[in-house]
Amino acid sequence: MARPSVRVFHKLEGLFSIYKPPGVHWKLVRDTIETNLLKGINAAPPPAPRQRVQFLAESTSVVAEGSNELTLSAASVPALAHHPLGEALHIHIGVGVGHRLDVFSSGVLVLGVGQSNKALTDLYRSHVTRDYTLEGELGMATDNFSHTGRLIERTTYDHITRDKLERVLAMMQGSNQKALLTYSKVDMSTQGAYELAVKGELRPDGKSPPIMTGLRLLHFQPPHFTLEVQCLNETQRYLCRILHEVGLELRSTAVCKGVRRTRDGPFTIQHALTHQHWTSPDVIQAIRQYRSSRKASKAKHTQPGKDTGTASQRQEMAEEAAVTGDSHRLHSVLTSKAFGS
Amino acid sequence: MKSVCGCHIEARFVNITHNHNSNTHRLRNTCKHNWGRSVPLASSSTGGTAHTAGGSEQNCYRVEMSLAYLRLCTQHRLALGARGYATHTSDRRSREQKDEGPVFQYVGKQSKPNHKVFVWGFSYTGALGIPSFVVPDSGRKKPRKYQLTPYRLETEQQISSAACGYGFTLLSSSTKDLTKVWGMGLNRDSQLGFQRTQQDRYKSYDYVLEPSPVPLPLARPQQTRVLQVACGRAHSLVLTDSEGVFSLGNNAYGQCGRKMVEDEVYSASHIIHKMEGFDSPVTQVVCGQDHSLFLTETGKVYACGWGADGQTGLGHHNMCARPVAVGGDLAGVRVQQVTTYGDCSMAVSQDGQLYGWGNSEYLQLSSVTEATQINSPRLLPFEGVGKVTQVACGGTQVAILNERGKVFVWGYGILGKGPNLSESQTPELVPPTLFGRSEFNPAVTVSRIHCGLNHFAAVTDRGELFVWGKNVRGCLGIGKKEDQYFPWRVTVPGHVVDVACGVDHMVALVKSVI
Repeated sequence: MARPSVRVFHKLEGLFSIYKPPGVHWKLVRDTIETNLLKGINAAPPPAPRQRVQFLAESTSVVAEGSNELTLSAASVPALAHHPLGEALHIHIGVGVGHRLDVFSSGVLVLGVGQSNKALTDLYRSHVTRDYTLEGELGMATDNFSHTGRLIERTTYDHITRDKLERVLAMMQGSNQKALLTYSKVDMSTQGAYELAVKGELRPDGKSPPIMTGLRLLHFQPPHFTLEVQCLNETQRYLCRILHEVGLELRSTAVCKGVRRTRDGPFTIQHALTHQHWTSPDVIQAIRQYRSSRKASKAKHTQPGKDTGTASQRQEMAEEAAVTGDSHRLHSVLTSKAFGS
Repeated sequence: MKSVCGCHIEARFVNITHNHNSNTHRLRNTCKHNWGRSVPLASSSTGGTAHTAGGSEQNCYRVEMSLAYLRLCTQHRLALGARGYATHTSDRRSREQKDEGPVFQYVGKQSKPNHKVFVWGFSYTGALGIPSFVVPDSGRKKPRKYQLTPYRLETEQQISSAACGYGFTLLSSSTKDLTKVWGMGLNRDSQLGFQRTQQDRYKSYDYVLEPSPVPLPLARPQQTRVLQVACGRAHSLVLTDSEGVFSLGNNAYGQCGRKMVEDEVYSASHIIHKMEGFDSPVTQVVCGQDHSLFLTETGKVYACGWGADGQTGLGHHNMCARPVAVGGDLAGVRVQQVTTYGDCSMAVSQDGQLYGWGNSEYLQLSSVTEATQINSPRLLPFEGVGKVTQVACGGTQVAILNERGKVFVWGYGILGKGPNLSESQTPELVPPTLFGRSEFNPAVTVSRIHCGLNHFAAVTDRGELFVWGKNVRGCLGIGKKEDQYFPWRVTVPGHVVDVACGVDHMVALVKSVI
């Protein structure tokens, strides 16, 4: 018979995503969530007081005169050993953070509770891609590539048109796509490499520098512009640097005004919990939602006869295995012979 | 920073709401919208507590609105406090920095892109035009035999057309200056004209290591423009806009379109022949290995030169020393493009039909004939390729481009669909995802295709260059010497406009992005 607080504790095993606002250190966010979860556990109703049977001696006045027997009567007495007022429950909740966001950025931040923290490392080792929305401003260059840094240079930007910006982005995307193929460590003279290249599934295996798998201009109104980036193995500082380099390619300068992560692997911004919802019941709800969605897609993928050899499906299986804590299966997935070798 | 009414007010506004006792009339000065009108707030209101004002209902309503706004103010303030740092001070600082200091201008508003030439491949023939690769400047440096990645070639003028032959290159500019064509590489048959040596004025260089002017005998050198150049195994053709076609180099098979002279010595020859015999001005010239093809304005094709494989398409297998109109299935057809590089020739008509003649040992024409040669043009009917807009022929392989930007390949060799496909009789589509098409860029298409002797080159509409095929002495330019079995991007700093493919080297005409 588990106590309500322990039941709450078990419901908290899993991964969920939150929306980290800009200007906050990720550790603050993680500590807030941990505190809220502990509050939720403590707020669970105390268990019903346990009774135990105790044999009490009869009072001497009742005993008949001259009798030598010790008469006992059973009584149900509250046990004081586990009384909530007398006991301190030391619960340790481990809240782990997935791919971190720096102070300047905002967006989806994946957290894991309890046993699922192991799944977090496995998830990120399987080369998930992330989506970002970058806001840039032309005409300025700073020392840390963002608008909060020290100004280094100001340049004109009236020669920049949408067409030129798109040409520069096309060039950058071309070199990134080439990097994808180069770091995939696949022998290009095999038929398997050709098949994967046609499907667009050649992905870096092992260590790779940050690579952008997709780059698109969303909005351009000089001096402001917005890019949508899909990348893997990146840091937010690298993305600010990308904006700076876009400015340099355009013979001007640019700084980053905002980095917003809209997707981190399978976690999108629609299901990320905002500031008001960093409480225990909302977190439990989010974890339950995520678990059910993974179960549904796992059932879809493990249909008999389905080809599980492609890299993207393997990646999805890795994510599911990671989430459901099945590290054994994940290990077999990650070490299986890959890429037609 | 959005106000309640939805208009954008500067960060300055945030400072005002800090002391939320402030009068709403200041807000009204900044906000153009007609919000919270005339009632001044009761001064004793603090923390947004509900404060009923006496008087008419109208007044009550207005005060309620302003009070609701106050509550919003405090919410904003709380939101600020929750952040790790306050944004408004750094905004103020950066704005102050913005207003001071010089503004640099690197590029003017009317700037035009720069045009550059990049070369790569085998350099010992001098075909790359960089003398330090063959004869190093300093004793410490070693000669560079293979240039495996694109290398910038400095030219005096903007080059509009380039052609790669078998070990030599011609570059031409559409300028009205006296020097319009430059050549470099092998010159044993004077395919680059007479290049006078420094020591002896009767001798010509056998290898030209730097782009050197080709002395064209133009009648009006300051008005004529050179439109296009073409190079074969040991001869070249230069097309001008008003003075016709000039041919130079080896004429052992009549490929220069002039009468063959027995025991002619081609080295150190001054002969540059102005070709005659066309019914209308020539619009395109191409050189095969030892034959030449010409396309005129009326859409007729002329041929001359070596015909043992029927590559001249004149109905016989003899040589021809003057340009003769090609018949066969091409009679009465308006041709829009001709191509050849080895011993097989192809043409595309204006309505998108494909014609071929010449060598078919490598299954280039096997869709219509079992013979190994055809000496008269035949229509090649292929279904499923759509309307053909461009065709490119190599030594053993053929590629076509249709109007949708799709590339089809067939023939023998490395065709571009992996190592398993080494020969095909019918066109095979090269998947467009290999040229950069993806869900992020669904509209990428190929705009030009070219063939070298053993490789292919494709230029997309986004200015990217893709190559595949046999990597003869590093001619692919991908940084390695291994063959490439499917289209691979060549990293060229800029937007590729056009490319010329040779046997073991390539030239790319590139435009800068800005």
